[in-house]
Amino acid sequence: MSIRTQPPPDLSRTSFLIIEDFEGMRAILRDILGRAGASRITLAASAGNAIAMLERQRYDVILCDLHLGQGKSGQDILEEARHRALLAPHAVWLMVSSEKAAEMVTGTVESRPDDYLIKPITETLLFARLSRQMAKKRALAPIEVAMREHEYLKALRLADAQLENDKPHAWDLKRLKAELAMHSGEHGMARSIYKEALDLRDLPWARLGLAKIHFNEGRFEDARQELEEITGGNRAYLEAHDWLARTLDKLGDQDGAQDVLQRALATSPRAPLRQLHLGEVAYRRGELGTATQAFQHSIDLARNTPLKSPRAYLALSQVQLDQNHTDAALKALAALSGDMADNTTAQLLAQAMQIPVRLKTGEHSMAERLAAQLAQELKTEARNLPPEAVFNLAAPLLELGDKNTAAALLGSLIGNNHEHPEYLERAQTIYTRAGLEDEGRELVQRSARAASDIMNRGVKLAREGKLGEAIELTREARAQMPNNARLLLNHAFLLIAWMERHGRQTVLNQEARTCIELARNLKPEDKRAGELLTRLELIGNDFETPA
Amino acid sequence: MTADPQKLDISTFLLSSIHDMKNSLGMMSAYLEDALNESGRDETSVETPARRKTAQALYEAQRVSNHLIQLLALYKIDQSFYPFDPQDQPLADLAREALARAQPLADSKGVDLDFDCPEDLYGWLDYELVFGVVVQTLHNALHYTRSRVFLSAAASETGVIISIEDDGPGFPDFLLEQGNAAQRGISFETGSTGLGLYFADVVARLHKAGDRTGQILLANGGRFGGGCFSLLLP
Repeated sequence: MSIRTQPPPDLSRTSFLIIEDFEGMRAILRDILGRAGASRITLAASAGNAIAMLERQRYDVILCDLHLGQGKSGQDILEEARHRALLAPHAVWLMVSSEKAAEMVTGTVESRPDDYLIKPITETLLFARLSRQMAKKRALAPIEVAMREHEYLKALRLADAQLENDKPHAWDLKRLKAELAMHSGEHGMARSIYKEALDLRDLPWARLGLAKIHFNEGRFEDARQELEEITGGNRAYLEAHDWLARTLDKLGDQDGAQDVLQRALATSPRAPLRQLHLGEVAYRRGELGTATQAFQHSIDLARNTPLKSPRAYLALSQVQLDQNHTDAALKALAALSGDMADNTTAQLLAQAMQIPVRLKTGEHSMAERLAAQLAQELKTEARNLPPEAVFNLAAPLLELGDKNTAAALLGSLIGNNHEHPEYLERAQTIYTRAGLEDEGRELVQRSARAASDIMNRGVKLAREGKLGEAIELTREARAQMPNNARLLLNHAFLLIAWMERHGRQTVLNQEARTCIELARNLKPEDKRAGELLTRLELIGNDFETPA
Repeated sequence: MTADPQKLDISTFLLSSIHDMKNSLGMMSAYLEDALNESGRDETSVETPARRKTAQALYEAQRVSNHLIQLLALYKIDQSFYPFDPQDQPLADLAREALARAQPLADSKGVDLDFDCPEDLYGWLDYELVFGVVVQTLHNALHYTRSRVFLSAAASETGVIISIEDDGPGFPDFLLEQGNAAQRGISFETGSTGLGLYFADVVARLHKAGDRTGQILLANGGRFGGGCFSLLLP
């Protein structure tokens, strides 16, 4: 017969942060922890308070209520804390909730807490989960450290070593391993783990993993089938809904994408990126009212989070302008300026995007004045501006007769996206509509050719063994086309090839890493980024590539 | 967004009311549990009538609370938005936690409550659902037993088996029949026990592995001659 009750764990040296808006619950949690000798307990009654505490100290354990009344949820705090690296690698995050919620299943490693506690919280429950999760995080901490350093290969090797003798965490480790393999472009390894899991049980996370591989490798129809297996059975699997919407987008099924997003938002509306995606789909479908609402929700939800970006503000301003709501369009731009006061690109955009609005209201001279004022800054910043903003600004500039600035904007856009036929076409259309068809063709062709010439010259120099010259070339080109994913990856490739020959250099290493991370943000589905990261990690390390 | 806003309002209202009632009952249970602990339980004192009544009130509060939780879960499963999330879970932890929940009632009734489960036994299960079934069954067994209730978990050929046995009079014939009926998916309406069994059956059948599906078994006899409830999970 087994031991009836476990002795309480010794928590006298463990530091705790309790995030809970309800005073009674804070006291209950503190009392229970106190019974196991815990004395280093910090209490936070609100999200803002909690973030301030997390900034000040690295806690061993965070007990956080999922629902904190108005404003940020426990999930928001967790994601911000992870994003801003406010958690120690061994830190345990336990999310407290009054019921099992949809947010609790199939998140990624970045979004999952370590465990959920469903109320009522009893001593037995809390101690059992604490002991388990603290032991698990201690075992996994070295892997976490490697992941934070983006050393996925090392993390994979550590996970493998841990798997040898850690049966209780075997599936946690395998799931982690699959996600690491995805990060380093090892789709084959990830696929075999997901398949192994699916052979045992019908696991949504494994099916979602397979779907992501299909998606990243361009097999959208296969991805759709896997994802519908998950979402058809249960609308609580939110991440699968988001991926299905993305997949339907790629398949050109706008109606389907909107439907899936609205279903997911009915279950969980407090998701700024999902709202943004809904807005974009609804906008393309011409449902301007739905789009307006979704963009506004997205802005409100992201305002005090790291997810805040000019994208939703600009989209809102544009959809208002399309509906002739010029005041509302200006209001959206004012909000952008106010909410992102420390971001110079956002400030420039908040001003420049007034130009099309002023033209629509008939304030021609004001539009002209703005364009003249901003022309220089627009030219310098052109390469960093988001494509949608450039498209929306170029036509009004041509209308005002400022061909120079329009050409600088569209030329940079094409340089950054020379392999994106849809963008080339849209740029051409803008010129054609302005009665400047030939001028447009000349610009589009010249800009696209300039970019591909640089790629070709880089490859040729590299083949001739002139790595140094090739690096100089791509480095210079990068300054002109900082958002060209292929160029970034080519440049990283050259830097890595150079270091493989001449040895690791910290500065070059950092340069290559930055390029790869930027390219990954621009083109998350390109597995070359992961493969290059792995090669980069191997330089100066003697361990071999995983099988 | 919905065609019938009126309907949405009512179901939302019902759901939030059930939540509210559940939370109130949770607080009530906590107060009653405190009252039981504060009224002392030193070696010499016997159970006083006041303590027994408090324990009885606690049992009733927990019973209603469990039923509300089950109703909520069943509603979500029916509307296919229950976040079903089976994972490898240590059964010894689950057993200890369930026993801790049932202990006050067992103490007040002078019933011996114990369990047997290997520390390294893991089951692939949705923790909250299976926990709900086990607590509900323990409460039921405590209600009908004479002197002991025993919870056990063990590996079976096809997964794990969790059993709750007692030395009471056993399940009445109509319930044994109902237990079988539930597994054939036939609905039944007799009283409150119907919900518990139905819930247990739904939970069991949500757990699937390949072509195997979880199930519940009701029997009389067993180790202690009373009722024996088993949950088999693949």
